[in-house]
Amino acid sequence: MLDNRRPAFGEIYSAYAAGCLDPAFMLLVETQAALRPEIARALAKGDAITGVFLETEDSAALADDALSKALDAIDDFEETQSVQRAAARRAGTAIDELLALPQPLRDTVLETCADRSWQKLTNGVQRLSLNIESAAEVELYRIEPDQTVPRHSHRGNEYTLVVAGGFSDKSGHFGPGDLAVNGPQHTHQPTGDSDGVCFALAVRDDGLEFTGVLGAVQRILGR
Amino acid sequence: MQLLSREGCADGVKCALYEHAVSQDKKVSLQISASTRDDRAELADCVLRIASEKCRSSFAHIFEYFAPRLKSYLMRLGSEPSQAEETVQEVMLNVWRKAEQYDPKQASVSTWIFRIARNRHIDAHRRRDKPELDPDDPMLQPTPEEQPDVQLDRLQIEENVRKQLAKLPEEQLVLLRAAFYEGLSHSEIAKAYDLPLGTVKSRIRLAFQRLRPNFESEH
Repeated sequence: MLDNRRPAFGEIYSAYAAGCLDPAFMLLVETQAALRPEIARALAKGDAITGVFLETEDSAALADDALSKALDAIDDFEETQSVQRAAARRAGTAIDELLALPQPLRDTVLETCADRSWQKLTNGVQRLSLNIESAAEVELYRIEPDQTVPRHSHRGNEYTLVVAGGFSDKSGHFGPGDLAVNGPQHTHQPTGDSDGVCFALAVRDDGLEFTGVLGAVQRILGR
Repeated sequence: MQLLSREGCADGVKCALYEHAVSQDKKVSLQISASTRDDRAELADCVLRIASEKCRSSFAHIFEYFAPRLKSYLMRLGSEPSQAEETVQEVMLNVWRKAEQYDPKQASVSTWIFRIARNRHIDAHRRRDKPELDPDDPMLQPTPEEQPDVQLDRLQIEENVRKQLAKLPEEQLVLLRAAFYEGLSHSEIAKAYDLPLGTVKSRIRLAFQRLRPNFESEH
């Protein structure tokens, strides 16, 4: 029986499983999987395939001292770990709200917060530009209740995934797991819901040419 | 913009991949030789012992099972042997570091380690020159987040995939491997296997759909 909420198969799952998906879209799809079980199921199937093929893989001989090198690396790691914990403790203040974000977004955001601050767009809207090695721009928006993101447009497409809370714009209301896709012709001015803070993850491909897999991203993620 | 980002991913890598795909799969038949349930339980115990006791002999066991496979996998993707070995070392260190996060109810060790290898592959690609905060640090770990309404039984999904993969015709198996494990796009696969693009898409779709429980009973 066909269930129209079951995502159609596209290249995105195989690109994801193999680790070939652009990091910005990897973050986007993993975050969405954290919110939507049917996406999570498809990703889990892809992951399972890779595990079986790794077991089926040939053996390539390693250097004679490979294992002892690995054990040395572990010793070094154990030594420096206490230093890292101190750094984490310093950076880990006042982050309860961010700790509620789904993985893997949470890790990316925490990592970014350690060396960059939120940018204040208006009194109720903040933006954090995320450390993603991608030609696309990736930002997390924090929108307080009833606050409106300043009107903006962009040269390319903007994919906005609601991570927590919700917002409305002239095309309708978006809740957790919903993805809004806005093309260059759209001017876009979302307003956060009244009943809580909204977090939204935006990926923007300003003026960049996406082909192939991105079509699959749109078909699968778009509603 | 290139959406498929493969490390050092010049065309050279892809070419190596094509040659590999063609030379390997047209001559040798591909058969799933996955682990037994006992093997998997033993590997899972090793990771749990790394987490609970920092057990080095368990780590050595994991290393002996996975390191040669990972090296072979990385060379399959076009890495030079020395580079592959270096990446294997990084992956294995991450296995040690992340052992506490391994949940045997969520995934087999193979699936979990492949995911680390895949991420390592990406990290190498976006290495940053700043001191990194380790987001895995227990100080930063929150109370478990709310789960979606429908709980996924990942281990059950994995069991289904194992069972069904073993039954797939080779022509589908080879394409699944190329797409999901080697990371070729559909059009790259079409070229490597000399098949029409539509055939590649439909075979992969069919194969992926078959990887669910009781596939036969639905037909």
